[in-house]
Amino acid sequence: MIDIRGISKIYGKNKVAVNNINCRIDSGISTIIGKNGAGKTTLLRILSTQLKPSSGDAFIDNLSIIRDVEKVRKKIVSIPQESSPIGILTSYEQVFMYLTARGFSFKSAKDEALNALKIVNLYDDRNKPTDELSGGMKRKMFVAMALASNAENIFLDEPTTGLDPISRMETWSAIKMLNGNVILTTHYMEEARELSQKIYMINDGSIINSGTYDKLLYPYRNKIRVESYSKLDNSYNIGNIYIKYINSDEIGKYNSEYNVIKRITIEDLFIMRGVDIEY
Amino acid sequence: MNIRFIGAMAWYYGLKTIIRGPSYLIASLATPLTLLFLVYVLSHGLLVKFAIVGGLIAFIGSIGLSGAGDAAFFRLQLRMQELYVATDIRASDYMIALTLSYLVFAIPGIVLYTYMGTIYHLFTLYNVLGMILIMVFLIITTTSISFIISGSINHLRNIWGITAILTIITSILPPTFYPYYYVPNAFLYIISLSPTTPAAVLAQGIFNLAPFQMNMVYIFIAEVVVYGLLARFFVKWQSNR
Repeated sequence: MIDIRGISKIYGKNKVAVNNINCRIDSGISTIIGKNGAGKTTLLRILSTQLKPSSGDAFIDNLSIIRDVEKVRKKIVSIPQESSPIGILTSYEQVFMYLTARGFSFKSAKDEALNALKIVNLYDDRNKPTDELSGGMKRKMFVAMALASNAENIFLDEPTTGLDPISRMETWSAIKMLNGNVILTTHYMEEARELSQKIYMINDGSIINSGTYDKLLYPYRNKIRVESYSKLDNSYNIGNIYIKYINSDEIGKYNSEYNVIKRITIEDLFIMRGVDIEY
Repeated sequence: MNIRFIGAMAWYYGLKTIIRGPSYLIASLATPLTLLFLVYVLSHGLLVKFAIVGGLIAFIGSIGLSGAGDAAFFRLQLRMQELYVATDIRASDYMIALTLSYLVFAIPGIVLYTYMGTIYHLFTLYNVLGMILIMVFLIITTTSISFIISGSINHLRNIWGITAILTIITSILPPTFYPYYYVPNAFLYIISLSPTTPAAVLAQGIFNLAPFQMNMVYIFIAEVVVYGLLARFFVKWQSNR
């Protein structure tokens, strides 16, 4: 269990990256979702003891990320955003090396590395230098590290950014195999829906809403999204698209070839709050 | 200290890299061997012993300094340092592991220079032990400088240029390929900021190519401590930014 108490990170005099976040993250896969620059990576770097917070504290299995840094590090795995393997080394060598860094003996590092590579379907390519692997396979190597380490708390910072749709699905299936408390950040709405038991929406360094996918969308169950290139009354403008939220019984009024009708998703919850989503 | 991680890193990143990327090793040897050839031709073989001893020092120094590119690439591009922060290892383990992997990577070059030294009857038990110590000190200091540089930058674009410039300055300017008494004492002390200077002066002393300079021992030890501490500070294991 992760208990975040009043964590803030302020750069310089007034650049607030994370603003007084308080929340409890229980076991299972949780997603912190927000646009680029919302504070997701900063929060994850603080939780994984790489970055000192300006104020507040967080407790991972009752250990403080400020006072018990060394003990916390033994309990977590943190896969950084856009991390890449050393191209000249194989996936087996890198998982093995990582496990020795976590205190595994050579024998158990070997056994666990091979086992994890089997689980994520990298076993047959275990002896290829990683610069010969696809993007998805490289990401799966990092998931294999997390899997093999048996850590109780796993932080994955934007694990599928930059991957093609197939590689992303491969990585998702590997992430689903992880045990323990998994926290991942993403700005892909469908990733949050696909993977997480609980979603934390973050904007301007603050958690603006949280809950399961269904719970977050429940208040909008009768709403529908209308998109148009022409201006709509009381609509949100993103790029050159106008977005309006209507009750489902009003659909007849907007049912024309110039409008696109969509179901409400997490993305719409950001738009309704006026968050400037990159589109 | 996590010996297993240090050993695994040295084995994989040191030894396997020799097999899978021999071009890096050849590139590291190219400059010292070219200079050895030039010194041999220009001095009619007179200074060839200086060039063999100095070439080994320049080679080790350039391997250590090229670590700046590696360390920066690992930190900024591969995000490897962040990956390893959340493990049992400490910054010092990570630094020792990389340093040892460079030393392992340098083995074929060391063997080549040892072979040349044997042809010219350079070695005795005393000077071999001395040279091993010099090489260990040199790889520690140059790798420390690498960590200082890599930790000071926030983007990669200049790192390869900086490394190339530093490698040339530290391998050509100091008395690696010529007798140290060719340069004025004051200049010698200025260029002692580069660890290759005390390394070369001491090596020339223990190989009886020039008088032994005890004060360079103190300078070299001081550099190991100072550069090592600065590197530990600059490696940024946990940061405020």
